[in-house]
Amino acid sequence: MCEVLLGVWLAAASAAATPDAVTILEKAERSVLGEQAAYTLRMTVVRPKKPERVVEMKGWKKGDALGLVRYTSPPKERGTAYLRNGENTWMFLPAAEKVVRVGDKQNFGGGDFQNSDIFRLSLAADYDPTLAGEETVDGEACWLLELKAKDRSVAYDRVRYWVRRDGTYFPVRAEYYTISGKKLKWLTLAAVEKLGRRARPTALTMESALDAGAHTTLRFLTIDDDVKLDDRLFTTSALERGE
Amino acid sequence: MRFLKIAFRNLLRAKRRNALAGGTMAMGTAALVLGGGLVDGIARQLTQNLVAVQTGHVQVVVRPETFVPQNSPFDAYGQRHLPGAVALAERIEREGKAVGVLEAVPYLYGRGSALAGNRSTLATIIGIDAARDGAIARVHPPLAGRFLPVDDITATYISGAMARKLRLEVGDSVSFVVQTPQGAVNSIDAVVCGTFRKSAPWHDMTFYIPLAAAQSLFDWPGGGTNVKITLRDGSPAAAARMVPRIEALAAGIVVAKGDRLHVEPYDRAGRFAFSIVEANRSALVVLSTFLFLAAAIGIVNAMLMSVHSRTREIGTMRAVGMRRRGVVRLFILEGVVLGVLAAASGLLIGGSLVLYYSARGIAMNTFTLAWMAGGDRLFPVLEPASAAQAVVAIVAVSALAAVYPAYAASRLEPREALHHV
Repeated sequence: MCEVLLGVWLAAASAAATPDAVTILEKAERSVLGEQAAYTLRMTVVRPKKPERVVEMKGWKKGDALGLVRYTSPPKERGTAYLRNGENTWMFLPAAEKVVRVGDKQNFGGGDFQNSDIFRLSLAADYDPTLAGEETVDGEACWLLELKAKDRSVAYDRVRYWVRRDGTYFPVRAEYYTISGKKLKWLTLAAVEKLGRRARPTALTMESALDAGAHTTLRFLTIDDDVKLDDRLFTTSALERGE
Repeated sequence: MRFLKIAFRNLLRAKRRNALAGGTMAMGTAALVLGGGLVDGIARQLTQNLVAVQTGHVQVVVRPETFVPQNSPFDAYGQRHLPGAVALAERIEREGKAVGVLEAVPYLYGRGSALAGNRSTLATIIGIDAARDGAIARVHPPLAGRFLPVDDITATYISGAMARKLRLEVGDSVSFVVQTPQGAVNSIDAVVCGTFRKSAPWHDMTFYIPLAAAQSLFDWPGGGTNVKITLRDGSPAAAARMVPRIEALAAGIVVAKGDRLHVEPYDRAGRFAFSIVEANRSALVVLSTFLFLAAAIGIVNAMLMSVHSRTREIGTMRAVGMRRRGVVRLFILEGVVLGVLAAASGLLIGGSLVLYYSARGIAMNTFTLAWMAGGDRLFPVLEPASAAQAVVAIVAVSALAAVYPAYAASRLEPREALHHV
């Protein structure tokens, strides 16, 4: 009898220790940048046989629907900015002094990230996650989540997503698959360091499966988690004024 | 007949003068025949290309209700999903055979990227039914390898320009990445089965793949963007007559909100090609006008000199009873004879040039020329109607140009003319 009770208790404890797939996904999405943040980052675009392209930028994020990124260097690109507000993304071209609407699925700044990747649209909103098991990735014990697109309008039909099981919920790797089952690109998150109030992955590298040797790295330089951001910062008029 | 003999004799009396005037007209005729051959060649090339590759003689497409043509060769392609395109094509071919339909073939047109190694390019991806779309193989014959096989869903048949750009050879792999109409990203790999020679510049970015592969790539099972219908009678009038019948057969197709189904004859669907033909014909009209003016001036000049040098002769003819009307008739007849001889010579020269180049082709070496001609080589065509038009026009100009000198000759007073030195 005691053995039975012990077995039941162990099973319950084990189930309680492993959160469900939705919880893992939501916590993982909040682990790099929180609900609101201001940050600076460096984007390095690497293409075979071409010189590296390095862009530095400042960004602001409020929830999943509001985001703003403004290029600060190099000088010829300074002032270029992207704004996310709800379902729409805009780009400001300082040379033309013009704001144009761009698509979520267009690439961001000529690199391997899409606009939707940069503005961290919630995977939980677009995908149904399933806990597919546990694996070790780069020496880290991880949960493996299988994310299936909720409908055919979502960019990637399937995403495989590895999240650390050590309580940090840091995402370690994501692989993006098309409708045809082809792996199109993958994201690795590394360089866990303390930035702002806490430690988090600070280097995100996206690599293309179709273009060997091509990859783009986003490296967070500073993160401020304590900002209180006004919604008026995330408007096209503020975008044009350079606020 | 008597007047004709006199006219011939009079022309031969001033050989050099009339040879120069006639030579001008002959060159003018040759230029018109050659120009007409070039224009007809462009028209034929563009029309054949359009009908074979894009529209057939009649096409069924879906366009957004807000569609505005951009005067681009890509306007002929459908922009939206035509549901059940394969079934619709089969129905049109089956039920249309009795009323002049030869075949109805579906295809799927889309845009995306093609990647090979580290190279990538924008791509026009067209899914075709290789077993039934022999017209494409005729217009795009293989430069290397072979046309799309019917039994290999992973094959792709690409333009020579794309093969060069991506450094692809037969047997190499290429990946296509597209955004489906619903918004997802999709990708397939393909193997190059053949490359086709450069034709119209707007086909330079084309990759043909099997229709089933395209339906899978763009996430459109059973669908397509166009059904192109070939008719026994390929004239624009026959195509226009066929439209209501095809509309009746396509009546059951339900399209998405905001879209509209169109059944278009090829002269409407291929506005871009026909606008090039019209532009070329207009240019030929302008050229013709200047040629006619030059020819007319030459005739007038030659005949006025003839009137001057034959003043006494004219006086004699009037004195022995020839009426003014007779003098006018004689000089106009001389103009007509000169025109006929010159036009015949010009037709021989111009027609020979057209036939020579129609066998070899004329290289259209620049981007602009290739767009104007619808290909990197132009093959002129000797259309009897165009050649006849040039001949008749020159003879008419020659006759008209002779009117004033004839009138001037008829006004000479016999008494004064006889005393002319």
